[in-house]
Amino acid sequence: MSQVIACYKWVADEADIRINADLSIDLSKAKGKISDYDKNAIEAAIQAAAVLGGKAVGVTFGTSDAKPSLKDALSRGLDEVCYIKAQEASQADGAATARALAAAIKKLENVSLIICAEGASDTYSRQTAPRIGAFLDLPVVTSVSKMELTGNTLTAVRKLDDCLQTVKVDLPAVVAVLPEINPAPIPGLKAVLAAGKKPVHELKAADLGVDLSPLSTISEIKGYIMDRKNIIFNEGDLAEQVKALVAALRKEGVL
Amino acid sequence: MFCKVAGIFVYSDQADIAREIIGFARLNGRQSVVLTLGEKDAQALQNAGADKIIAIKGESEMIENYAQAIAVMLKDESAELFAVGATPRGRDLAARVAGYLDCAMVSDIAAAGFEGDQIVCTRMMYGGAVQQTEKLSGLSVITIPPGKFATAQGEASILSLELPADNRVSLMETAPIVKEGVDLSKAEKVVCVGMALDKAEDLQIARDLADVMGAELGCTRSIAEERHWLPVESYIGISGAVIKPKLYLSMGVSGQIQHVYGIRDAGLIVAIDTNEKAPIFKAADYGIVGDLYQVVPMLTEALKK
Repeated sequence: MSQVIACYKWVADEADIRINADLSIDLSKAKGKISDYDKNAIEAAIQAAAVLGGKAVGVTFGTSDAKPSLKDALSRGLDEVCYIKAQEASQADGAATARALAAAIKKLENVSLIICAEGASDTYSRQTAPRIGAFLDLPVVTSVSKMELTGNTLTAVRKLDDCLQTVKVDLPAVVAVLPEINPAPIPGLKAVLAAGKKPVHELKAADLGVDLSPLSTISEIKGYIMDRKNIIFNEGDLAEQVKALVAALRKEGVL
Repeated sequence: MFCKVAGIFVYSDQADIAREIIGFARLNGRQSVVLTLGEKDAQALQNAGADKIIAIKGESEMIENYAQAIAVMLKDESAELFAVGATPRGRDLAARVAGYLDCAMVSDIAAAGFEGDQIVCTRMMYGGAVQQTEKLSGLSVITIPPGKFATAQGEASILSLELPADNRVSLMETAPIVKEGVDLSKAEKVVCVGMALDKAEDLQIARDLADVMGAELGCTRSIAEERHWLPVESYIGISGAVIKPKLYLSMGVSGQIQHVYGIRDAGLIVAIDTNEKAPIFKAADYGIVGDLYQVVPMLTEALKK
């Protein structure tokens, strides 16, 4: 049976990130989530697997923190998840991530299609799909806003800056989808309950036989604070506040 | 060898960005070798201050299909860096080349420079909440967004080079994008609506304000992609339009990090929202805490005077 792969990443929710006074980052309050755009990649894989009559399999590379992602991903309709559980994931760059995912995918049989989102909501590097393609020497189609499968051929519409391209490729192939490709429905209760019974395959770094150390060296991480005036007009009633705003904008010369 | 010392190889499908990357090379005292697909693009960059231009000839019209051949070339030429314009085509090509070389890559740099042989790059993470600095050694790849570096001048010689293409992905058709919305990245003033707007008809309130201000109308991602009230081109944020107007005014926008990423270079940011704790106020120069349905019509009237 053919397998359609959805790569996804468990990330810290950026809305929960706290920036300390010294600009250091506090992730201790941050809940995990499946990267927003990866939900569209998962849905695209499920739809493609249905057309191809195959299985939709999630592949994720994460630390032990990523465990809650398994049930979440399966409740979205994936048939199985392959979980590369490795501490190296916390330090991984684009190269290490793609190496890990590609090595795990290589272990699976009859892979016809690998679907990623354009980028993850933490790093948004947009490297994973092209790098996996290069590692496995498979053809790659990125920026996909629409795709259609006929037999063994994928026809995709790519949304670029200046044009829409329609391209064709024979499977197997790697695709990076844009979030607009589908609405990624929120799973219902029944799907959530069924998720607990679906298979999870756990892989360790040593099972992959590839180097998972990053190639770039992080020398500094700090919070970004917008340097803005932060003036709230709160004197008097709304009419006076509006008047004060208009006066300020006129003074700035932006009207 | 195309240049006498290890240089920066440059590619962008947008000539303006290619010019800026050549400027980046010059600024750092590096030679630059520009890759183009075909002679026409090469001629367009002939006076941009590069040391050499290589016009790629081959069987594909898609630059991405030359990724493997370019990777081999960079290695053979002992290139120091492959710097690519951060557009959809450019990011794809850059990451594929990095994949074939299995080398380090930093995407969409906010700043980049050299410290000796190392390349030091800063980029945004978590939708712009965090700034990360990375150091790269050896042949590496970076992508550079527009507007980061000043352009250079000077004539370059053009060399035509045949490269093998990977034709597994074939181009069937190219259609111009019918932009339903306006090009917000060029707008001087932008009015932005967020999820506090109750129904699509109420967009009129925003339109009326935009009209008196002479502003374009934008929105948050949810308004475009979940509610479909405005075209996808109208949404502002990390995965949408990144804008730099003189004035940005939001109504009913909470100010999620991904949205704020798209407005950080705005001259002046004004926010109107009922929730005084909304993160948009931390990103704003001026704000009014109040219901947009009350505040915005009053503002429109006040500006008519």
